[in-house]
Amino acid sequence: MRSLNSIQIGRTTRRARFAFLAAGILTFALAGAVSAQHRISLSGDIQAKISYCKDCHGVSAQGFNGYYPIPRLAGQQPEYIENQLRAFIEHRRTNNIMFNVAHSLSPAMINTLTAHFASLNPPPIGGAPRQLVATGRKIFEDGMPEVNIAACAACHGPEATGSGQIPRLAGQLYPYMIKTLSNWDKERGRNPTVPDAAAIMSPVAHSLNKSQIEAVAAFVSTLRSPRGTPNTVQ
Amino acid sequence: MSFRRPQRQRRWAFRSPAGAALIWPAAVLALSFSSPATAQGNVSKAEADAKLRYCEVCHGVSAQGFHGYYPIPRLAGQPTEYLKNQLQAFVERRRTSNIMFNVGHVLSPAMIDALTTDFNELNPKPLGGAPKENIDEGKKIFENGIAAANVPACASCHGPEAKGNGPFPRLAGQLHDYITNKLTNWEKERGQNPAQPDISAVMQPIAHTLTQPQIKAVAAYLSYLE
Repeated sequence: MRSLNSIQIGRTTRRARFAFLAAGILTFALAGAVSAQHRISLSGDIQAKISYCKDCHGVSAQGFNGYYPIPRLAGQQPEYIENQLRAFIEHRRTNNIMFNVAHSLSPAMINTLTAHFASLNPPPIGGAPRQLVATGRKIFEDGMPEVNIAACAACHGPEATGSGQIPRLAGQLYPYMIKTLSNWDKERGRNPTVPDAAAIMSPVAHSLNKSQIEAVAAFVSTLRSPRGTPNTVQ
Repeated sequence: MSFRRPQRQRRWAFRSPAGAALIWPAAVLALSFSSPATAQGNVSKAEADAKLRYCEVCHGVSAQGFHGYYPIPRLAGQPTEYLKNQLQAFVERRRTSNIMFNVGHVLSPAMIDALTTDFNELNPKPLGGAPKENIDEGKKIFENGIAAANVPACASCHGPEAKGNGPFPRLAGQLHDYITNKLTNWEKERGQNPAQPDISAVMQPIAHTLTQPQIKAVAAYLSYLE
C-alpha cells in the first residue's frame, strides 16, 4: 500500500515537473506576445468593469431607478467617488452590494473608473415635480439663514458641480437625494472609528424638513452641468 | 432662558453718516416692535450656539476655515470689530456675496455681538495645506515689506504675529488660497459700493503692487501661523 502510494506520488511529481518545464519554455517563447496581450486584456478589463458599473448606474452613468434609486456617477468628482468607494470598504457607508464591488477594485482601476465617470455628461434623468424647483433653487442658492440652514451652494458650488470630496449634485436622482437627506445618519458616517467629512452635512440634513428636502432634490435633479468635465477648482 | 453679554450690545459701529442715517430709523422701528428681551438686545445661549454651529457648517470646525466649493475663511481669533464690519459690508454690498448677504441680513446686533465674541475666543490650529517652499520669503515680506517696490510691511497694520487689530483682520492661520484670491482680486473682493467707501481702500495699492509669487509666499507663510 505504502509503495504503491509512493509510486503514484512519484508519477504525479514527474508529470507536474514536466508540465512546469513546458509551461516555462512556453512562457519564454511567447514572452513578447503575452505582454502585449496582457495590455489588451487590461483595457478589456476596464471596459468590462465600466459596463458592469453601468448595469446598475445607468447606460451613461446618469443614474437608474432600480429597486433602489441608484445614484448618478456621471460628472462626479473623482475624489468624491474614490472616498465613497473607501467608505463602503471601511463601513462608513453600509451597503453589502457596494462593499463587494469596491473590495475587488485595484487603486489603478479606481483611478481609471473615476476619471471615466468624471468625463461623462449625459442630461439628467428628470422626473421630479416641476412645481418644487423654484423653492429648491432658493434654498440651494441662499439657504435659510433665519432657521440656520446653510446655502448648499457654498460647498457644492453655484452650479452644484461639487469640489474634491464634496459631491456634484447636478442631475442627481430625485429619489436618491430624498432618501439620502432624509436618513443622513444612517446613510453616512456609520463607522465611529473612522470619522469623515459626512459629519458636516449631518446638522444641515437634520434641519431640513421633508418638503424642503423634496424641493432641493427637485431642483438639483433638473440641473445640467455647463461643462463636460466637473469643476475641480479650489 | 439665559442671557449673555448684555454689556456688549452697544458696540455697533457705523461706517459712514449716510449709513447711519439709513440704519437708525430702521433700528428704532425694529426696537419698537420687539419684545422687551429683544429690545435690550439679548440673545439666549441656545440661540447663539445654534447660530454658531450654523456658521461652522461652512467655516469649519471651531471656525478654522474650510475648503468648500470656495475657500471659506477662518473666523477663529478674528477681531470682533473686523467681523462686524465685514458682516455690515455684505449687507451694504461693499462685499458682494449673495450667500453672506443673506446670512448677514438676518443677524440682530445682539446676535452679532454674541457671535463675534465667540469667534474671537476660538483658537484652533491652522488648517494648513499650503506649499512650504516659499514660507521664508513670505515671512520676510510680511515682517519687512519690500522697500524697493514700496510695499509696506504687512506687520505694521496686521501686527507682528498677524493677529489683527480693530478693523484690520487677523491673518494668522487664514487659508492660503483664500488670501491669494483676495489679494489677487482686491478690487472685486472689497470696496464694491462707491457710495460707502471703507477702510479696504488702504489695501488696494498694496495688493496691486504685489506680484503673484509674492502673494503666494505671504499667503503660505500666514496660513501656518498659529
